[in-house]
Amino acid sequence: MRDEGIPTVAQTAFREGFVEVDGFRIRYMEAGQGAPLVHLHGAGGPRVTPAHDLLARHFRVVAFEMPGFGQSPENTRTRSMPELASTMAQAVARLGLDTFNLLGTSFGGKTALWLALQAPSQVLALVLEAPAAIRQEGAESPSGSPEEIAKRLYAHPERLGTIPLPDPVLRAKSQPLVQRLRGPDRDADLERRLPSLVTPTLVLFGTLDRVISPAMGRVYKELMPGCQLVFVYDAGHAISTERPEAFAEVVEDFLERHDAFVISRTETVIHP
Amino acid sequence: MKVSFFETGRYRAPRALPPEWPVPSGAYDREAGAQAYQGIIERLEYVEALGFDWVSVSEHHYSPRILTPAPIVTAAYIAARLRKITIALLGPIVPQSNPVRVAEELAMLDNLAQGRLVVGLLRGTTNESLTYDLNPQEARERTDEGMELILRAWTEPQPFGWQGRHFQYRTVSVWPRPFQQPHPPTYALGTSREACEFAARHRLGCGVSYGPFEVVGKATRYYREQCARHGWTPAPEQILYRANMLVAETDDDAQALLRKQPNQAPFAMRAGVRDAIMTLDSRNIAGEARAPVVSGALPTTFIGSPDTIVEQVRRCRNVVGAGVLDLSLHPPGSGDLDALMRSLDLFGKSVLPRIRDI
Repeated sequence: MRDEGIPTVAQTAFREGFVEVDGFRIRYMEAGQGAPLVHLHGAGGPRVTPAHDLLARHFRVVAFEMPGFGQSPENTRTRSMPELASTMAQAVARLGLDTFNLLGTSFGGKTALWLALQAPSQVLALVLEAPAAIRQEGAESPSGSPEEIAKRLYAHPERLGTIPLPDPVLRAKSQPLVQRLRGPDRDADLERRLPSLVTPTLVLFGTLDRVISPAMGRVYKELMPGCQLVFVYDAGHAISTERPEAFAEVVEDFLERHDAFVISRTETVIHP
Repeated sequence: MKVSFFETGRYRAPRALPPEWPVPSGAYDREAGAQAYQGIIERLEYVEALGFDWVSVSEHHYSPRILTPAPIVTAAYIAARLRKITIALLGPIVPQSNPVRVAEELAMLDNLAQGRLVVGLLRGTTNESLTYDLNPQEARERTDEGMELILRAWTEPQPFGWQGRHFQYRTVSVWPRPFQQPHPPTYALGTSREACEFAARHRLGCGVSYGPFEVVGKATRYYREQCARHGWTPAPEQILYRANMLVAETDDDAQALLRKQPNQAPFAMRAGVRDAIMTLDSRNIAGEARAPVVSGALPTTFIGSPDTIVEQVRRCRNVVGAGVLDLSLHPPGSGDLDALMRSLDLFGKSVLPRIRDI
């Protein structure tokens, strides 16, 4: 199967909407009730996963299609990640969300960080799924055939029933934008600002991430005072696709309790 | 070739014990137990003087056969009393442990022993899943995940959480870190495809045990293939072989010793338990299914005069690729300490110096 914009695993639960900001018509998918949770996708474009479904049981999930990705026209205008973050902040504002939780995946993790730096009072908490904002030296984006890309994105592609392969056409359209915005492996401008970001932040890495080294997790923890780092065992780069239950559980818990999520609520009574 | 002495505690039962595992704890004799524990250091001082490189301890429960259910305690005791020998903890039974606790204890031990620690991580024998109510069908997965977490806990410099399948922690930040950096020499123990692949992926050693050379050689060959796939070649001492050895003045004497040994499973379970657990405990050698060892004695793969043994060690090196032998020189569980000391003496003086260069 190939992705056509925002498919499909949990499509029935999500409804489509559009906002017009900054000269872009931005599509989003929305489901669920509760505190808002805005999602900014990775460089492969938007995709609704089982994790979105699980999160929508507790949150009002708004998954944006950033301009230039998915079904949207090619974006030749946005010059930088802070600019994209600013556009996305306006899109969120247009939905009337004064404060919200923000989830950024990979490429979108960097967008989310910039958005939080630009509007710290609006972002209640930040979750970064395998963020690409700080990368090991010489990190390369997945490339090649859809199958080769899948091998980079997933620890165990063979375990996924249907592998969500990227669409080469959509990918080709968004690649120039990604290359323009991804920035250096270590972005001094961004990293200089991170110590001032006090937003509660959860950084997640799969232990088998073959795109961004999980060892990058510690850098966020060193730089950001409000950072928590969690490794998701046996997941690759696409954590929420490979281990959706584990992903959704820790994200929900963190968004609900922030730092206090370290206090266990697991009940161990076997027989009362 | 490096040589390790497998220290099992050597409980000398004053009266016959029931053969079945678990052995009733009421049958424990405190005087015999005290002697067993006190005898460890005296024996190991001799082992060290003979020139053994390592002494190994392992985790077994509910039986006098191997009297170290908490091998970390034994290892710490040995580390405090002996100055030179390397202590090989082979190993904590990972699937029934708290992996973070294991990482902490081993890091502590490595510091206490000032870097004289070698670690083996393993799934455990079939009977051990009964010890702390471990579901045998989950043992393999819990082992893999637990090993991964132990390595991460040793090496990750920032506090982290672990969102596993079988283990979940929100806060891990192990103090002390291991004395040896990034961590003590570590082996994944077992012949399974999973253990070999794990070891290859993490550049760990591979440890196999007891089976005939050709059989365990399949696993070590698979391990080396996997290492090559991951772009590295293991050193000889990264392949460890634990075995029973019976050495005597002549081949005939050694065979006579073997005939005197009871053909009894090391941890014989009641038939109903044994048969049921066999169906749940799936094991393999480099991917080929094998039955769990639940009946019959473990094989003795080194047997004979010193000359014969030297040749067998040479064959083992060629077929298994082992650079470390971890040896029981007399069956664990046998209380015949005189026979053990005779074997030790003969091995130390007539075999050990001749296998160094193999």
